[in-house]
Parts: sequence; C-alpha cells; structure tokens
Amino acid sequence: MVSATTVWAGGEGRVEKIYYTTREPRISLTNLKGQILVRAWDKAQVHIVYTLGSPRMEVDTEVLPDTGAAEKIHFITHLLDPTVAGDDQTADYTLDVPAGASLEIRNPQGKARVVGMQADAAIDSVGGNIVVSDYTGHLSVRSVGGDIEITHPSGQVDAYTITGNLRFVSPSTTRLRGSTTSGNILFEGDFMDRGDYFLSAYSGNVDVVCPASASYELSAITKRGKVINTLPIKTRRQSASPADSNSLLGTHNTGKATVELKTYSGTIRIRPQY
Amino acid sequence: MEERRFEKAAACLRFESELEAFLEGESRPFITAHAQDCPFCHVLRSDLEQIRQAAQDLPQEEPSPVVWANLHARLEAEGAFRPHVSGWRGMLAWRFLPHPVPVGVLAGLVIMASVLTVPPRNPQHWDVLNPAGSSTAKVTASVTPVGEDGALEQLVGELESNFRANDASLAPDLKATYEKSLVSLDDSIRECRDSLRQEPGNTLAHDYLLTAYTRKAEILSSALEFEGR
Repeated sequence: MVSATTVWAGGEGRVEKIYYTTREPRISLTNLKGQILVRAWDKAQVHIVYTLGSPRMEVDTEVLPDTGAAEKIHFITHLLDPTVAGDDQTADYTLDVPAGASLEIRNPQGKARVVGMQADAAIDSVGGNIVVSDYTGHLSVRSVGGDIEITHPSGQVDAYTITGNLRFVSPSTTRLRGSTTSGNILFEGDFMDRGDYFLSAYSGNVDVVCPASASYELSAITKRGKVINTLPIKTRRQSASPADSNSLLGTHNTGKATVELKTYSGTIRIRPQY
Repeated sequence: MEERRFEKAAACLRFESELEAFLEGESRPFITAHAQDCPFCHVLRSDLEQIRQAAQDLPQEEPSPVVWANLHARLEAEGAFRPHVSGWRGMLAWRFLPHPVPVGVLAGLVIMASVLTVPPRNPQHWDVLNPAGSSTAKVTASVTPVGEDGALEQLVGELESNFRANDASLAPDLKATYEKSLVSLDDSIRECRDSLRQEPGNTLAHDYLLTAYTRKAEILSSALEFEGR
C-alpha cells in the first residue's frame, strides 16, 4: 500500500496531482470544511486540485494497490494543529475522475457538487448543501441541515435531510426516496413506468410538478395539512388512510408508477408541469 | 486489512440498501448472494426475517425475547457491526470513531426501527394489531416501542447523553447545525407522542415517531464522530 502525504506547499496552498487508475476505481474524500466539486471524465485518471486554507493542515492520500493502476484512492484532510479553527480549516477540492468511479464523499461544512458519474455514491454533509446532476448510479445522499438538489438521476436515489430542503429535477430513476423533517420537498419531472417514489416530510410541504401524461398510482396523506391536487385522478376507497387524515388515493392515467407522498403537518400539492 | 474492510463495507452497504426491498418481496439476488458470503449479514438477514415473521404471527404482541436477546448480543459484540454503519461512516469508522458504543446502539436502533416499520406499511395489518374493542393502551405498547419499555427512547437517550457530555468540543457552526436538527426532531417526537396518547391508532404519527427516533440516533452518532477531534 502506498501512503503518500502531500503537505501545504507554495504560498497559496494549492496542490495538483494526477493518479492513474482503473476505469472503475473507488474514490473516497473526507474533508472538514470547504467546497468539493467532482466531475466525470473519460480518462482512467484522477486529477485532483486542492487548496488548503492553512499550512497547519495536510491531505493524506492512500492509493491501492501500490503498483499499477489504482483501484482505490482515499483522500483525507486533517489538521496538524488541533487549535486550527474557522476558515483556516478550509480545503477546497476539484476532482476529475473516471465516470465509472464509485464515490464516498464526506464534507461536513461546505457544498459538495458531483456531476456526471455512473457508479454508486455516498455523499454526506452536516451543514453543507449537496448538488448532484446527471448521475446514473445508486445515490445515497444525506445532509443534516443542508439542502439537497438532485438533477437528472437515473439510478436509485436515497436522500434525506433534517432541516434542509430536497429538490428532485427531471429524474429518470425507477426508485427514489426522499425525506426531510422540517424542510420542503419539490419533485419536478415525470414518473417512470413501474417506478417507485416515496417522498416524506414532517412539517414541510411536498410539491410534485409532473406532466399531465404521467401515469401513476397515488397515495398522498397528511394529518394536519391539506392535499391539493390539480391533475385528474380516479380515486379509490380511502380505508387505508389513517382516521382524520387528509388523503388522496387514486390513479392518474393508467397508474404505471407508484407514488407515495406523506407529510404530517405540511401541505401536499400535485400540479401539472407545463 | 484496509482493503478488506473497504470491500466489506461496500458490499454490506449495498446489502443494507437492498434489504428492505428484499424483505418486502422484491427480487434482490444480491441479498441472497451476499448473505452467503458475509456471516454478519447472513445473521442479520436471518434475524430480521425471524422478527418479521414473529411480528406477522400475531397475536404475539412482540417478537420473542429470545430473538431480541440474540440480536442485541450480536450487535453489542465489539466491532461486529461496525462496518455496517452506513456509507462512509462504516468505511472510515476504524479511523475516526472514538465512540464505538453509541454507534453500536445506533445500529441496534436502526435495525429495530426498520424491523418495526416493515409490517405496518399496510394499515390493514394494524387492524390485526388493533382488533376492535382491544384496549388502546395495549395497542400502544405493542406497536409503539416508547411505551412501558421505552426501548427506543432509552437508546436515543443514551446517545444524547454522550453527545451532551462532549458537545463543547464541537466547532460552533457544526454544533449549531446539530442543535437545530435536534430541535426539529424533538419537536416532531413530542408532537407524535402527544398524538399517539390522544389517538393510539394514529399510524401516521407512529411511522413518523419511529423515523424521528432513527434519524435522531443517526444524527447524534454522526455528531459523536466529530466530538473530541
């Protein structure tokens, strides 16, 4: 195993490196604070550029195996001096990685943006926003307080936040689950045939904007809010909904997808996309 | 050693992500294949299926104590489930986690909550749990694990105590984010519990309560990883 450490170098703390990899390496990046951008490219290489906010930080890099194309690379930011605080903990990263790479990204404070990847990814933050676009693998995305926006995903999506908002734009995935406690959820796009969609907020609202041609079976339930639907729906019996709740169960068009929307005290809106 | 952990974490992560769908009846060949390779996941799957079966074979009010005891014993075996903490936490836990016990509690809680939330998906199933004329208190005890035994509440309380004991070491902005999320979760827990007291058959409140406890445990566990660093 190669274990390389790259320290703060140069007056501005900027470091650039290239690692030769397989087409499907596993890349992990653990940061403390800062911006992360990961982009797919068609090369079997990882190109990383990072800028450290302080000479009292370093980035450990572990590459496996120790010879030949790397199958796994771990990047870890850590402090050399535990008294470093605030913006001095910042490290900003930009990575170009093979589109087939699987990712594990942890960026507690700061935005993480991932574009165009094809394999599985787990992206976590505490207070930072997470933006993912054009992703075809299985996405597991979590931010405690940040917003999550996922555009054009086509693999399975699992996303949750506690106080942040969720936004899904033009998904072509057949399995999508999103939940937030006090944030809002916005889903804009169509539902795939045989797709399974679950969106849940506690006190926030759930908004779905989909084309009139969408085909889905709907279960929309709120205990203390309202369900406002402006798309034609063939309702069915509501015995499956809890007593005293406001609910709408039925089928729009031929009901090919399954859509479950829940909020305890928020409002659910389903409206057509123009 | 690290490589083995990484691969194990990745496979086990996928196992975790597909397990619920598998238990709900979807075809997931990976679950079967991985359970044959991974002793822990094999045991986990077996236990979950046992518990789920026990929950379905009502009128038994709770899964057999033996099942719970076995599950707890395994989960509390040091390190046994550490790679199963989701995502990067699992992969990097051996490097960063100064609090393995809370993470173990979390794993137990997550499994418990997921098991408890699987059967009630179909509200009609609750009719079995709550036959007409049965006492509401009995229903609350059987479907809401915050009743007399307070198992979920106790587990989360343990994590929160650990968190409070060390939260001064958190960076201010991290702490603020965690505090805000805990306030949000506590509000939802309080509201759901109040609702369940007034309306024990409120399945929506029950679902949200379990979700809130699970989320709270995950958040606290996540925060504990940063404390002291």
